[in-house]
Amino acid sequence: MPSGKTDSIQLLQGTLDLIVLRTLATMGPRHAYQIATRLQQISDRLLNLNQGTLYPALVRLEQYGWINGTWGQTENSREAKFYAITKSGEKALHVETMRWRKMADLVERLLTEEPH
Amino acid sequence: MSHLRRFFSKLVTHFRNTHVEDELKREIDSHLTLLEDDFRQQGISRDEARLAARRAYGGVERAKQLHRNERSLLWFEQTRQSFRYAFRQIRKSPGFSITVVLTLALGIGTTTAIFSLIDGILLRPLPFSHPDHLVLLGDHLGSGLDLGVTAQEIGTYSNAASAFSSLGGYATSTYELSGGATPEVVHAARLTAGVFPTLGVQPILGRVFTKQEEDAHQSLAVISYVLWTNRYHRDPHIAGDSIELNRKVYSIIGVMPRRFEFPLQTGHLDQAQLWVPMSLTPEQLSDEAAGNWGYHMVARLKDGVSVPAAAQDTDRVAQQSMRNFPAGISAIHIRGDVTPLREYAVRNAQSLLRTLFMAVLIVLLIACMNVAVLLLVRAIRRRREYAVRLALGARTGAIICESVLEGLLLSLTGGLLGIAIAALAMRTALHLLPESIPRIDSISMNATVITFALLLALATGILCSLAPAFAALRTNLLESLKEGSPIGTGGKSHAWLRSTLVVSEIAIAVMLLTVSGAFLRSYQKMLAVDLGFQPEHVLVAGYRLPSMQYPANSSVDAFNLAAIDRLSNEPGIVAVGITTALPASAGSAASGYTIEGVPAAKWKLQFANFATTYGDYFRAVGIPLIEGRYFTADDRSSTPLVVIVNESMARHCWPGQLAIGKRFHAGNPRRPYPWATVVGIVADTKPGSRDKPGADQWYAPTEQPSILNGSEGSGTLTQPSSGYITLRTALPPEQMIQALRSAVASIDPMLALDQVQTMDDAIANVEAPRRFNTVLIAVFAFGALALAITGIYAVVAFSVSLRTQEIAIRMALGAQRASIARLVLITGAKMTALGCGFGALGSVLFSRFIRSFLFDVSTTDPLIYIGSVLVMMLIALLASALPATRAASTDLIEPLRSI
Repeated sequence: MPSGKTDSIQLLQGTLDLIVLRTLATMGPRHAYQIATRLQQISDRLLNLNQGTLYPALVRLEQYGWINGTWGQTENSREAKFYAITKSGEKALHVETMRWRKMADLVERLLTEEPH
Repeated sequence: MSHLRRFFSKLVTHFRNTHVEDELKREIDSHLTLLEDDFRQQGISRDEARLAARRAYGGVERAKQLHRNERSLLWFEQTRQSFRYAFRQIRKSPGFSITVVLTLALGIGTTTAIFSLIDGILLRPLPFSHPDHLVLLGDHLGSGLDLGVTAQEIGTYSNAASAFSSLGGYATSTYELSGGATPEVVHAARLTAGVFPTLGVQPILGRVFTKQEEDAHQSLAVISYVLWTNRYHRDPHIAGDSIELNRKVYSIIGVMPRRFEFPLQTGHLDQAQLWVPMSLTPEQLSDEAAGNWGYHMVARLKDGVSVPAAAQDTDRVAQQSMRNFPAGISAIHIRGDVTPLREYAVRNAQSLLRTLFMAVLIVLLIACMNVAVLLLVRAIRRRREYAVRLALGARTGAIICESVLEGLLLSLTGGLLGIAIAALAMRTALHLLPESIPRIDSISMNATVITFALLLALATGILCSLAPAFAALRTNLLESLKEGSPIGTGGKSHAWLRSTLVVSEIAIAVMLLTVSGAFLRSYQKMLAVDLGFQPEHVLVAGYRLPSMQYPANSSVDAFNLAAIDRLSNEPGIVAVGITTALPASAGSAASGYTIEGVPAAKWKLQFANFATTYGDYFRAVGIPLIEGRYFTADDRSSTPLVVIVNESMARHCWPGQLAIGKRFHAGNPRRPYPWATVVGIVADTKPGSRDKPGADQWYAPTEQPSILNGSEGSGTLTQPSSGYITLRTALPPEQMIQALRSAVASIDPMLALDQVQTMDDAIANVEAPRRFNTVLIAVFAFGALALAITGIYAVVAFSVSLRTQEIAIRMALGAQRASIARLVLITGAKMTALGCGFGALGSVLFSRFIRSFLFDVSTTDPLIYIGSVLVMMLIALLASALPATRAASTDLIEPLRSI
């Protein structure tokens, strides 16, 4: 549904989890602020979300046992909760990635198929 | 897997909620700090950086709420809130809550108590393997219901019946058990070897006897768990020990499990404590003894054989054995039949339990109605609150849910309390149950009963709270808000529902009152029935002389003579006698008889109860002589045979003639028994309970046994060697028990006395079932009445509180206080009149259900109806009197000011 007015997009259900998992898998343990910053960077500001909206995803993933949060210190000696991906989180990331690819592939094919 | 994990961590979150909240706050704080640090590095002032951080983060409270929703079980959280709300509501009005809880506890408690009886007696399987395949089989004689077989038939049925996979014969018996501190009488059963395999129960210790051992007449005994526990202290090496029964040594070979009971007797006092081989003697199998239907048989149906088919097969065998009857009993006609064992075991209790259960369900129904009324009244009071909440957007479902939850909390509390009440009642009431209740030992509070009680609580909770909730909600929003304005009688829209509930409550209470009235009248009528003798100041004691030590008439005579002699010399004793059957205690023997002068072709089998007596029996129990004479010491074995008949028999056998001097003999005309001459006519005594019909009776002297069995029997035992010693005392009979015991011990120190009690107690035992029913029904009726009072009071008081302003206005306009009180009383009276009308109508409609329990009372006895209605009216008047006086003393100013 193109709104025209802005370039920002709405996040699909479940994709936020995938993005968070992927971020933690590639970059190692990160705190919520870093994850949010990273999200904004890679989305090139396409994804415009309040940083607080990240929290439900974090608690969900933690409850699934896919990530694990521990308190630590930043370079500036501020305390922060660092999240790290777990073994089962990596497995889940793999499964979710495959599923996403399949889904994306399917949608792509549907969209590129020319009507005859 | 991870979903499950998530569910658990959500669950855990509930119990560590403050910790999680703190952690969340800390994380958000740190996040904001980091954001702020970054903005500061971009050169923004401290305050602006803080604002920018907030902006970038978004709403903190919103993030928190999202976090909460995500981490917790939402429905769980909401339920918890509703619970907290319901608890608050309950705490806010303790009087109301306590009334509701107690009402429900009473209803659920009584229902549970009765259900535990039903569970123990009717629902629990019999203590045998596959009990559904077990039947009793035997012969119907005439119209009798009892299935008995003769000794000879045990063999016939075992060999010829094809519907059964196994079967065995048994007979109950009592033995004198010696070796303990005092000799005692134990109840026992003689079994053929087939019985144990038929029942399919293994002993917990040792073994049971085999057919070979039975045929070889070996003296073996299998003992009960109770005997093993009480007498042998659970000695694991008991097998092989000896036990002395009737002064003969038996060898114990096994112990049966605790639950095993056979035969299934009504009442626990007669429970068999040991089982010995039947080992029928040649005399017992002889043609002379062929007329004794005192044996029973139990059988296991073959797979796939139905009860009717088995009955048919049994009758086939019965007809066959009837053709081979010896001459002495050839005139007797029998019909073979089977009864499922379970049906037999519970037949005495079934209708009683059904009635009881109906009664408690009615009480529970009243309790529920009461609670519904109370909840309705409250819901109406809270209608304005509901309306406001609905206007603010609350969902109807949520409000109903809340009200049901509140009802459930109350009813479950009531249920738990009810279980406690039931357990307490069972503990205290179990020994009050009449002896006629079977399987009394399997009655207990168990998981089934407790589940039943909780389900009951759940159901009543939902039922009681749903209706009021819907009623309160089914009102137009605007109307309610308006109606909440002070003027008017408020709950007009539900006055109908309220009144209906109370009217039905009154109707049901009236029904229970009439039933209990009918029961009480029956009981009263029963007590008024003349027993035909004077039971006061009479002491009785049962005994059985063992045949080894008393092998002949002479030795029994010696005992009888010595007993009478010793006892009549005791101070305080008026008269002493011995009999084979006590009156009014349901233990009489009956036989057919042949009247002299009646042609054999016209003879038909009619039974008359008989007893032999010794000593001054008639004076001892106080049976008045109508004509002729009592027996005297001159009526001996050597003198002409004499009998005494009761008035009924005299009238029945010799109508319009003087019975004295007439002759008859026992048995049918073909029996060559000697004639006996009637020398006296005595009053009719009740053979069993007072509410049972009388019977023809005759008495013979103990020393003239040939009346009964025709044999002269010199040197052998032909006269009865067991019976009851009866004493009429000048002192209270309880004080004579010791004298009786020591007198008997001085004659035979090893002889056991059984059921030493006053005649009044013996009669009370027989009459216990009616007394029990009456007391129980009266208690239920009383409970129903109490609940009805609460209901009437609640509704009248409520309507008064709604009409406070109306009353104040009436009084301001000059109404007298008395007329205000009358107004309120009329409200109560209208409901009561209507309820009584319906109740009386209902009683008439349902009267046929209780007819079989009544004695000499018509179910439509107007006295009972008038009484019940009057009681109800009076009670209702009392219940509305309090609100009426309160209404009459209404303060004028206060209600008017709030208009």
